[in-house]
Amino acid sequence: MAIQIKVPAVGESITEVTIANWLKKDGDVVKLDEIIAELESDKATFELTATSEGVLKILKPQGSTVPIGELLCEIDPSGQAPSQAASNAAVKQPVAAAAPAKTTGGIKEMKVPTVGESITEVTISSWLKKDGDLVKLDEIIAEVESDKATFELPAEATGILRIVAKEKESLPIGGLICKIEVTDGTAVSASTPASAASGVAAVSGDKSYASGHPSPAAAKILDEKGVAAAQVQGSGVGGRITKEDAQKAQAGQAPKPAESKTAPSAASVISAGGTRNTRNEKMTSLRRTIAKRLVAVKNETAMLTTFNEVDMKPIMDLRSKYKEQFKEKFGVGLGFMSFFTKAVCVALKEFPAVNASVNGDEIVYHDYCDISIAVSTPRGLVVPVIRNAEMLSFNQIESEVVRLAGRGRDGKLSIDEMTGGTFSITNGGVFGSMLSTPILNPPQSAILGMHNIVERPVAKNGEVVIRPIMYLALSYDHRIVDGRESVSFLVRVKEMLEDPGRLILGV
Amino acid sequence: MQYNVTVIGSGPGGYVAAIRCAQLGMKTAIIEKYDTLGGTCLNVGCIPSKALLDSSEHFLNAKEHFAEHGIDIPAPKVNIGQMIKRKSAVVKANVDGIAFLMKKNKIDVFHGIGSFVDKNTIEIKSKDGKVTTITTEKVIIATGSKPTPLPFAAFDGKRIISSTEALELKEVPKHFIVIGGGVIGMELGSVYARLGSKVTVIEFLDGLIPTMDGTMGKELLKVAKKLGMEVFVGHKVTALESKGNEVTVKAEPKNGGPALEFNGDYCLVSIGRRPYTDGLGLDKIGIETVKGQVPVNEHLKTKVDNIWAIGDVVRGAMLAHKAEEEGVFVAEQMAGQKPHVNYLLIPGVVYTWPEVASVGYTEEQLKEQGKQYKTGSFPYKALGRARASMDTDGLVKVLADKQTDEILGVHIIGARAADMIAAAVTAMEFRASAEDVARMSHAHPTYMEAVKEACLAATANRPIHL
Repeated sequence: MAIQIKVPAVGESITEVTIANWLKKDGDVVKLDEIIAELESDKATFELTATSEGVLKILKPQGSTVPIGELLCEIDPSGQAPSQAASNAAVKQPVAAAAPAKTTGGIKEMKVPTVGESITEVTISSWLKKDGDLVKLDEIIAEVESDKATFELPAEATGILRIVAKEKESLPIGGLICKIEVTDGTAVSASTPASAASGVAAVSGDKSYASGHPSPAAAKILDEKGVAAAQVQGSGVGGRITKEDAQKAQAGQAPKPAESKTAPSAASVISAGGTRNTRNEKMTSLRRTIAKRLVAVKNETAMLTTFNEVDMKPIMDLRSKYKEQFKEKFGVGLGFMSFFTKAVCVALKEFPAVNASVNGDEIVYHDYCDISIAVSTPRGLVVPVIRNAEMLSFNQIESEVVRLAGRGRDGKLSIDEMTGGTFSITNGGVFGSMLSTPILNPPQSAILGMHNIVERPVAKNGEVVIRPIMYLALSYDHRIVDGRESVSFLVRVKEMLEDPGRLILGV
Repeated sequence: MQYNVTVIGSGPGGYVAAIRCAQLGMKTAIIEKYDTLGGTCLNVGCIPSKALLDSSEHFLNAKEHFAEHGIDIPAPKVNIGQMIKRKSAVVKANVDGIAFLMKKNKIDVFHGIGSFVDKNTIEIKSKDGKVTTITTEKVIIATGSKPTPLPFAAFDGKRIISSTEALELKEVPKHFIVIGGGVIGMELGSVYARLGSKVTVIEFLDGLIPTMDGTMGKELLKVAKKLGMEVFVGHKVTALESKGNEVTVKAEPKNGGPALEFNGDYCLVSIGRRPYTDGLGLDKIGIETVKGQVPVNEHLKTKVDNIWAIGDVVRGAMLAHKAEEEGVFVAEQMAGQKPHVNYLLIPGVVYTWPEVASVGYTEEQLKEQGKQYKTGSFPYKALGRARASMDTDGLVKVLADKQTDEILGVHIIGARAADMIAAAVTAMEFRASAEDVARMSHAHPTYMEAVKEACLAATANRPIHL
């Protein structure tokens, strides 16, 4: 008897959900409590778990919108028996496995694992093993990049590697990465029934060496429209671009109006010397996500920025005075980040809205300060988090900054290390920025921008003096942070930085 | 008269360019030096040679194969006069067809030698000395090519001849000596070998039809020998003389060895063709030829802004169908369109019997590129259709990418190869894999089944009928 899974009631005002992603395919064997799909409501994304073990039968396709209470899928518990037996048999094999290099005929299909809440696709950044290589269980065979982090992919079985996804290829969660022809008794997980294999064939069917190859007529049309073949999804066999595909393709910008039939110098404009090459490169999934997020922030928040300036002399004096001792004692340099983080934490306590975030109709206040620090890496900007920064000492903050920045540059940051910040600090000053308006790191409601330190003439007690000045910018979400709070917050930060004694006393 | 476009030369490049220009709404003129349109191809090249190749093949069949087919006839005799007459009729029908097409497309035809006065003015000198001057916005140079003579022996048009004269002989030569075992030499050599001449072919390079895949040359050598042709490859001709009704050719192996001397009544020099720009007045517009060719950029435009050049007069293979593609390419560019010419997929054909045809990369090229490839071959011998027609010589060879199975080259020597190669071009334009073609239904019994089988062989060495 199949067990029916319906759309659960997920919230008071929610009447329908959209199936964002089936993580399991029709016919897959699923386990109890295994996540089988991602559902999206207008408020949030949540996961659908299997309520029984068995064979999944999908009734509503991905992308469809389904009312609460409607049937989503069925799980047939009787379907589990053969697979269970198969995996049992496989588990027993190691005992008898005497000839290790022989393939057992078992094939382990490795699919993109669920790596994080909001991650829908990953990019294979590099293969560490070659097609046909013998790989061992748990050996790292590839590096995979998501928009959040880079992680290593361990082999799920010992055997001969058969690469399916090429380097730089983007795959959805659950997409087939490679197959391992199992060579010893290593258990082949039971989740590879025939239906899964046929699903894979369908996927590889529309990707081939000829994907994106335009037919002769299509090539001409695309050129005339100024559309690169790479921008067109080919509907022909193996992803080839047909004449119809080309006719339907839209130019990124308005195409040059077709020159009239007898235009005297129609083609004579062609050569003018100097290269006019353009290159089309696929965005990495990190870049795509950054793009999507940043636009979303602009559209979905009421963001604005307040500015102030800090006389850095007191901190610089303090720093030069204790630099050596600090380094000696803690083994880490005394930078500006610890001062700024400390000052920010004190100020956040006083202005909790700046440390809050919006969740639907609610404001989430945080009684702790997890400070995200922006780090520029070769892959793009990443934002690791200093946890409970309000509890840390100067040297602990400095060490944490050094550790996170290092991991960021090496691409080793885990998703955990990058999620959950409550406030961000970004330092455009390291690149020489004088003043900028930082963009919010959602769902946070404020971000502090540090800038370069420049000696400027300033008036002190009625006299013009030269002081090292840094401009500060605080971008904030005006939906929950009022002008008074944001401005006062920034003034408070300024006061503490200009008189570090206040940091100790908290005044 | 004022024109949008003037095409100089009415060969397959020129007349096709003119028609396409006219279709696109340009007021078009075409200038032809000779009395008839169509250029080398129609008058003294492709068409007349095919006419004679067909006639001579019929003669050979009547003489040697009819009996086996169960047709008893008295020993056939060659009527060379009638053969040439029929050939001329074929040519006339074709060139008249071009004249009709010019009229239909409202293209003005000027007979005479066209030469530039400046980049927008062309003077046409007709045979009777009359000079006409026209002005034009754009010009397409399509003046084609002429046979190249040996440096030490000019054509005399009687005994030391080019392909042009070889198509007009009044008698069947006793000993026909061919210098150059390329396409033209092998085709015309076959014609006279079938008609009963002793034919000797001397080729400098180490194989026949040396620009094609090596297997083709080897197979063609077998076929040529079967036909009774005497072939010397790797031989350098050192002297060529004609005395009275006799020609003497001296040659020596290029890697050393005893010199050879041949005495014949005709010697065809078919060592290649050179671009032809005589009398065009290129100096008036500041264009200098390079190795005889008119230099052009990737759009086939010369350094003069309103002047393009196509066909044999520019770089690339000297083929009528290459010139046609280029004619359309230039005409469409003039109209602001963005056409393409895929030079890799311009097929090459030799009209011997069996025919040779190929497209894409040769095995030699793939080796040189270090490409990983697979080969699949299928002989005509194993083909039902070929047995029925007694055309069992030849084979199909398919080269495919080792990883992706994409077809990289198709080389055919065998009956109807020239027509079959179009299917290979189609497959390759769509970047088909060998298995793709192998999985398409091919009518039975046909010669094309050999292509399917060769593709099966290339896919995973699994031809059905071998």
